[in-house]
Amino acid sequence: MSKVIVVTSGKGGVGKTTSSAAISAGLAMRGHKTVVIDFDVGLRNLDMIMGCERRVVFDFINVIQGDAKLKQALIKDRRLENLFVLPTSQTRDKDALTKEGVKAVLDELREEFDYIICDSPAGIERGAHLAMYYADEAVVVTNPEVSSVRDSDRVLGLLNSKTFHAEKGEGAVKSQLLLTRFDPQRSASGEMMSVEDVLEILAIPLLGIIPESTTVLKASNEGTPVSLDEKSPAGKAYIDAVGRLVGEQIEMRVNPAERRGFLQRLLGRTA
Amino acid sequence: MQIQDSKHLAGQKLATVKPVQIRGRFFTAIALHLTGPADRDFLAALDDRLRQTPLFFENAPLVLDLEKAQGLESERDLALLAKEMRARRLSIFGIQNGTAGQAAAAAAAGLISLPGGRNVPLDRVNRPERAAPAQAAPEVEKEAPPPATRLIDQPVRSGQTVFADRGDLIIMGPVSSGAEIIAAGNIHVYGRLRGRALAGVNGDTSARIFCHSLDAELLAIAGLYRTSENLGPDIPREHVQVCLEGEKLRVLPLK
Repeated sequence: MSKVIVVTSGKGGVGKTTSSAAISAGLAMRGHKTVVIDFDVGLRNLDMIMGCERRVVFDFINVIQGDAKLKQALIKDRRLENLFVLPTSQTRDKDALTKEGVKAVLDELREEFDYIICDSPAGIERGAHLAMYYADEAVVVTNPEVSSVRDSDRVLGLLNSKTFHAEKGEGAVKSQLLLTRFDPQRSASGEMMSVEDVLEILAIPLLGIIPESTTVLKASNEGTPVSLDEKSPAGKAYIDAVGRLVGEQIEMRVNPAERRGFLQRLLGRTA
Repeated sequence: MQIQDSKHLAGQKLATVKPVQIRGRFFTAIALHLTGPADRDFLAALDDRLRQTPLFFENAPLVLDLEKAQGLESERDLALLAKEMRARRLSIFGIQNGTAGQAAAAAAAGLISLPGGRNVPLDRVNRPERAAPAQAAPEVEKEAPPPATRLIDQPVRSGQTVFADRGDLIIMGPVSSGAEIIAAGNIHVYGRLRGRALAGVNGDTSARIFCHSLDAELLAIAGLYRTSENLGPDIPREHVQVCLEGEKLRVLPLK
């Protein structure tokens, strides 16, 4: 039974695409056949994060409009055998997405894949709405910061009312929280919201806490999903989150901040 | 006409008031349902009804509902009936649900024919005195809908609005910042209230807001509101009720 999971947040820049890439790579590493779809039509980024931007020929919109077959548009990842990317168009806009088109593509993907990860654009308009519309589950990406939390709350409201499952009366889409860019020290000093504060407001289960880490930006620039870097704290946190996503019980470790090198400590506290 | 006027005025002085202003307006009228012919018996029954509440209909705009009426197809009949009613200080101005013949007769008698409308219970018509019991007034529309309580057992998220238009609202979960809960009656929140809560929106000043944990952006009862900024820092926050005391919105602990 395949699962469609939307990675969404409302607010931009919180790490949706990074998380989509890391989660889909993490699922593929576990042996699940996974495809990740970029719904951010016009602002194509996922292919860069996945390191396949040079291999895009046909895209999601071509498939929706019948100009290409799904097989032609899917890009197979070079590192992981089970991982595929469905890139989007950079030249079109969100109006090119249609409910029927998205459904047809998802139905075709469901026959072949175990997990279909939908990387939602920011906002709550057409692109974001269609990314979440056919989802079975949602991963809500949130930063420990008030505006991000409020936007996530708004998105949770939409997940409970404006999705296929909700409209058919089959109950809410199962939503879980992925707290990203979390800095335990700044949280402890009150500069950042605590995990408890965020959970109290959003009232959904916690999927994982991804610590703020320099390796995330580095991995993005290199076009490598963060979860492939199993040594970095962020990579480990994503791998744990993926384990929980597939139903494993993994203890939540609030990751200690990255240990600074001896020399750095000597040189003082400026980071 | 208007353009001409303003051109004309422009030569002399600046026009400070527009000569014609048109505004759409909704208002409530009383519908008098006529069953049978408009004969002596009807007038006697009307007189009887008016004696019970002499002030109730005075100067209230009144529409005659002719759905079940008999006759009244001629201008003379309608004009006569209107005259009789005006003699009783009833401000009749139109008819509704009439036949084409009745509509034409009404137009000739100086009454307008209204295209339908919506019935509301008479106690919503804002008159100082209440209507007598329904059995004494068979000609007055009175079908009060049963009060309906809404119960929400999920969190109310930012951007969502929950409206209980005919009764109380019970929320079994948190109400997020940016969410809005509105009720004609009371509001109960069994969780933290961070959004906006508006009770008694139809003007019920006895409505109250009860909540477990108060952190609201805005509280309002019957249109009187206070925002979190002017609620003050020292109000009780846990197990509270919000009610009106005269013209003042008060937050009191639940004992």
